Amino acid sequence: MKTNFNFQLYKNRKIVWLVSFSLCLISIIGMLISLKSNSIKAPLNLGLDYTGGTQITLERSCTDDCTFLNTNDISNNIIALKNQDKNFSSNTSPNLTRSQIQLLDNSKLISIRLPFLSAAQSDSVVSEVNKFFGPFKNENISVEIIGPSLGKQLLKSSLISLFFAFLGIALYINFRYDRRYSFLALFALLHDIIIVCGVFAWLGYLFDVEVDSLFAVSLLTIAGYSVNNTVVVFDRIREKGLLENELSFKYQIDKAVGATLTRTLYTSLTTLLPLICILIWGGSTLYWFAFALLIGVIAGSWSSIALAPSLLSITSNNMIE
Amino acid sequence: MGRKNYWFLVVILFAVLSIFICTNIPFQLGLDLRGGSQLTLEVQTTDDIPKITPDDIEGVKAVLDRRVNGLGVSDSQLQTIGTNQLLLELPGEQDPSGAAKVLGETALLEFRIQRNGTEVQLRDLQTQRNSVESIIKLLEDNNSAQLRKEININNEINKLFEKYNIQSDQILDIDQFNLLKNKINTDIAGLFEPTLLTGQYLTNAGRRQDQITNNWEVTLSFNNEGGELFADLSKSIAGTSRLLGIVIDGISYSEASVGKQFETAGITGGAATISGNFTADDARNLEVQLRGGALPLPIDIVQIRTIGPSLGTQNIRLSLFAALTGLLFVGVFMIFIYKLAGFVAVLALSFYSLFTLSIYALLPVTLTLPGIAGFILSIGMAVDANVLIFERLKEELRNGNTLIRSIDASFKNAFSSIIDGHLTTLISCITLFYLGTGFVKGFAATLGIGVVLSLFTALTCTKAILKFLMSYQGLRKTSNFINPNQIPSPSINLQ
Repeated sequence: MKTNFNFQLYKNRKIVWLVSFSLCLISIIGMLISLKSNSIKAPLNLGLDYTGGTQITLERSCTDDCTFLNTNDISNNIIALKNQDKNFSSNTSPNLTRSQIQLLDNSKLISIRLPFLSAAQSDSVVSEVNKFFGPFKNENISVEIIGPSLGKQLLKSSLISLFFAFLGIALYINFRYDRRYSFLALFALLHDIIIVCGVFAWLGYLFDVEVDSLFAVSLLTIAGYSVNNTVVVFDRIREKGLLENELSFKYQIDKAVGATLTRTLYTSLTTLLPLICILIWGGSTLYWFAFALLIGVIAGSWSSIALAPSLLSITSNNMIE
Repeated sequence: MGRKNYWFLVVILFAVLSIFICTNIPFQLGLDLRGGSQLTLEVQTTDDIPKITPDDIEGVKAVLDRRVNGLGVSDSQLQTIGTNQLLLELPGEQDPSGAAKVLGETALLEFRIQRNGTEVQLRDLQTQRNSVESIIKLLEDNNSAQLRKEININNEINKLFEKYNIQSDQILDIDQFNLLKNKINTDIAGLFEPTLLTGQYLTNAGRRQDQITNNWEVTLSFNNEGGELFADLSKSIAGTSRLLGIVIDGISYSEASVGKQFETAGITGGAATISGNFTADDARNLEVQLRGGALPLPIDIVQIRTIGPSLGTQNIRLSLFAALTGLLFVGVFMIFIYKLAGFVAVLALSFYSLFTLSIYALLPVTLTLPGIAGFILSIGMAVDANVLIFERLKEELRNGNTLIRSIDASFKNAFSSIIDGHLTTLISCITLFYLGTGFVKGFAATLGIGVVLSLFTALTCTKAILKFLMSYQGLRKTSNFINPNQIPSPSINLQ
């Protein structure tokens, strides 16, 4: 029997744990800082999908070279709507001073963030901005309005679906292997999720990157991917255990991990290739989605090659030093 | 071509069928890809109905369905989400506020009778309304010279704007006059007292154009109970000076007198007409709202997404380009690492993509941006299955087994890992599909279908293609699969 690598996981297990522990710690610190900061007040910088609000994106119909706009001018025009537009004349109308305006793509795209508006109110904003800063490409106007209650609900349903997906996976591994494997697969998965959340907590805190419902989707995909990877390694460990049960458990694990190492690296690479392509060419809609998956795939490979098997070796009863 | 190649023929047949399906059945594109509006509506509770049951939701949905169909947007979709929400998709609709207006309004239809002693007030208000209406008509005809004359004569108009607290600096704006008209009509409705007859007794509503005045009218018909109420109501004021007011959402649309001839039995037959100077559009909207019936529960629009159609095409172009480039890289990588087997994998993956796309077209799956992401990821899963098999194949070959035996063993040994990996992903897909909403669902659907098909292609297509190629003597060389220096010499092989 020949393996590609003489992989001594057991010997280096403490380094593996230290690396994982530090990464998780930095992640958790990121989430705590984010939670304590006045501008975010949550472990992650929650986007429009979860907090509610209005996002209007307008594309100016100018050729390559758009003249620069002053975001304050746009903001002032929107605030002025309060006094002149019938859709904003009531006392309960939203606070227009709380607008965030961004110019993207060399001043070609105007992105406006406002509190929750009604459809008619958002129309007013679009026509007002059009009056002063247009013309806009009509077919490229995108308006997104999400009520605050819907945002909370989405957050809740995202968390619930995450929880049930984890539970389902745990039950399956429990059924196919045993409780120890299922516990460790979940542990590895949690490790990956914490790292991805941590990266986004830091990104949110430092660069104002927001998490949307696609982020929840990416977490679930990472969960599936992470468990998939861990299970492949576990499957090998179990097979080794059956074939060469005269070997010590830690040795079996080293051999099993060594045998699946190439596969895990190749698989990670073939998954990373499309993701990197989406990052580069996929446009802004999918950028952070692909980025979250990228981090998740890297963390997932690490946890299934190194973390989960090295932990398995200490939980084992038939461990021989 | 022996019996071994039976599967290969089946695979080719499937592929041809898939190409046929993909080219003939159009893909169903989501709103983010084709443009349009998506509205999420939340059903609200009331004091009478503090908890929303599935029946309540169905009731609201039925009413909204009728209203949406009345709007005339093709391909619109209305579906229930969770316990109290409805998702409405209007492809191609760029003006969601128009739709929101028709959907969100409950169009409460009431028949009211005039309060005693309000004759003078009513006459004044009606006169004011008439002047406002004539100005609106002029504004619509854009006859500005005559308009100025009209406004000069009607000094009263300025007073009205003041009275109703409407900013009058842009006095020639048609919207301002419509607002004024509505305020007057609200005041008129206030002079009437509610009766038992409301829109809930309505069985149908229609619209027609008056042959003489060319004005649009909305016609109503009641059920038996409503017909009786209407007869009683008309009887009670027949021949008196009191009028019958038709009030919709607190705004009076017409005030009618009931002739003395109805004193004995009232107006029977259960039909009525509202003539309120409607334009064709007004009449259509009102008809849609009335025929849709009153909503059993109020609704609130909690989310609106509008995507321009060209933004959608741009999204498709970008993500398709990214996906294809990614696949190209994966293909090159696979051939580089696994040689002939890598080539087989590329073939199998192309078949896989064809199968998956044809299933999307057949079911049909609505393709959204996250859906495409799900598809790309499922390709990753499909590649992984192949990698697992070929790694095993290499291992077997390195252990000195013969090629054909190694191929069989590799599929057998990789099977349990492939099954576990796919099933765990499938579990999260199913969870997401049932618990998720909107595009999360779309992602789960595409990934889930991909996972199932990947299991199928990895275990059948890859094997069938590999076996087919192995039936050619020239290809049956171990060096086509691993580097020659890794092939053990026969002497070591004797274990």
